[in-house]
Amino acid sequence: MKITLQQISFFLILASLVILPFVNDSRTLIILLTQIFIFGILAMSYDILLGYTGIVSFGHAMFFGIGAYTTAVMLKQMDATLTMFLLSIVTGMFFAGMISFLVGLLTLRLKSHFFAMLTLAFSGLFLVVAEKWRSVTYGNDGFTFRAPDIFKERITFYFFVLACLAVIFIALYRFVNSPTGRILIAVRENEQRTKSLGFNTLHYKVIASVVAGIVASLAGSLYSLSLRFVNTSVLTMDITLDALLMTIIGGVGTLVGPLLGAGVIEYAQHALSGLARDYPIFERWIIFFGILYILAVLFFPKGIIGSLRMLFWKWRSRRKGNKKSPAALPHKKERFE
Amino acid sequence: MELMVNLMINGLATGMLIFLLAAGLTLIFGLMDVLNFAHGGLFVWGAYAGIFTYMYTESFLIGILGAIGTGALLGLITEKLIITPVYGNHIQQILITLGLMLVLQEMIKVVFGPNGVPVKTPSYLAGSWEIGDVIIIKYRLFIIVVGFVIFGIFQYMLKRTKIGLIVRAGVQDKDMAQALGIHIKQVFLYVFMVGAALAALSGMLMAPYSGVIYAEMGMEYAILGFIVVVIGGMGSFSGSLLAAILVGLAGSFMAYYVPVLSLAVNMILMAIVLIFRPQGLFTMRKERST
Repeated sequence: MKITLQQISFFLILASLVILPFVNDSRTLIILLTQIFIFGILAMSYDILLGYTGIVSFGHAMFFGIGAYTTAVMLKQMDATLTMFLLSIVTGMFFAGMISFLVGLLTLRLKSHFFAMLTLAFSGLFLVVAEKWRSVTYGNDGFTFRAPDIFKERITFYFFVLACLAVIFIALYRFVNSPTGRILIAVRENEQRTKSLGFNTLHYKVIASVVAGIVASLAGSLYSLSLRFVNTSVLTMDITLDALLMTIIGGVGTLVGPLLGAGVIEYAQHALSGLARDYPIFERWIIFFGILYILAVLFFPKGIIGSLRMLFWKWRSRRKGNKKSPAALPHKKERFE
Repeated sequence: MELMVNLMINGLATGMLIFLLAAGLTLIFGLMDVLNFAHGGLFVWGAYAGIFTYMYTESFLIGILGAIGTGALLGLITEKLIITPVYGNHIQQILITLGLMLVLQEMIKVVFGPNGVPVKTPSYLAGSWEIGDVIIIKYRLFIIVVGFVIFGIFQYMLKRTKIGLIVRAGVQDKDMAQALGIHIKQVFLYVFMVGAALAALSGMLMAPYSGVIYAEMGMEYAILGFIVVVIGGMGSFSGSLLAAILVGLAGSFMAYYVPVLSLAVNMILMAIVLIFRPQGLFTMRKERST
């Protein structure tokens, strides 16, 4: 088996993240990194939809919320042990899978506009249910719960989340490079043509939506455990927007992009809320992200990773000196349609 | 009986407000093939700008004019800066208008403060009439009248005037209209501005009705607007009136009889329509080529 540059860098980054807590055990850093990993998982799952299959879903918070609530409710109502936590992750994934399957089957036949609106409406419905079903969810006030003893230490939780991230990354990498993943990309590039090649595109879009839903639910479970608290904010549009922002800014259609995006956004949030103490304008940091996001959609539709990759290709083709074959370059105006 | 009349009036008034919001949405979609997710942002800007003008000048009418002006101005800026670069690319349109929605909503908090603002109904529209057991709240009646008047004006404009002819031609076939010498981009801009102004007007009228305005109301009502547009059929003007009344009435009756379902009823309506008749309930035109 040939070891590629990508595999080497993957293991190097993983190793440095494993070593990091022993070098610098600052509490804020560990918490920030844990948060980045969790949202990285969420953003990667979102990119399966947006970047690989080319569907815009505004209901991703629904699956995140399902995971978060399943974990929180099970740890609160039953006992807070590690087994129960793992069981709650699996249960959450199961529910998220079922619901994304049903919703996907109903809605993925529709054109992009309608799909985006319907997912928005469905996640709105979930939010309303969570607000009203006070006996279990305690509505907007939310509730706290005890974490399993092993996760009392932030460090162990950090390693657990890191392990989840690594596993999910490898699994999704295999998934998008599998024959199914290739067909998802074909759907993104040209759905009509894929259909006429004999693929049932609805079938593949539902697969993408189920995979994305399941992974998002895992992120939700980890998120609620990291806070040891859950309220209806996990189901709001903000979560979907975060995932969207991370994916767009990091780079759609890659798995590293969303991770990088999660890092950038979470770090910026952290830094800006620090600045907000001195300059009140930074309390409204969403504005900066919103403007950044609009500019990214307009000028860097491929995000950080995509733009870097483009530069790299340009550089390589120039070095080889075959300027005469511009066909080797990816098309410059290529946008995710 | 009295109860029925009251519920009807409630439902109609809500329906009319949603109609004003949805009318802009559906016109913009029908003509430009753009689904404007920032419509709720224009709605809430209309509400805030209008109410602050009203509080400053003490005249509700000037407030309404202020809202309409703000809406049209924001529409102009939005169309020029945000929409024009992404014509024809649906995914980018969805993403970018959602981003704009976010910015507009947060800008409200920066400019007018993050807390909700209580709104008083102007004195000549406050209070109610009692006819037998039926209590008719004046402001609700006012909204219904305004809604029907605006519907009438637009219907007349669309069906009887040269401008309407151009817009309808654009909805039917953009390329053909352009080939016949109509500056279609210019038409797009004006329609977008009118749509934005309608959204702002709707926000302004909503303010005394709900009694308080807050930044997040944009998204809440925008979702209702989307639902109405889907039920009524994208691009159909009268369809959205019927659908808005349907949604308004369903909401008000459900809120009384089955309160648990009142928030879900619209979503369920939309889901049913989308699954069984994705082109909308009231469309007469041939199906849009997809």
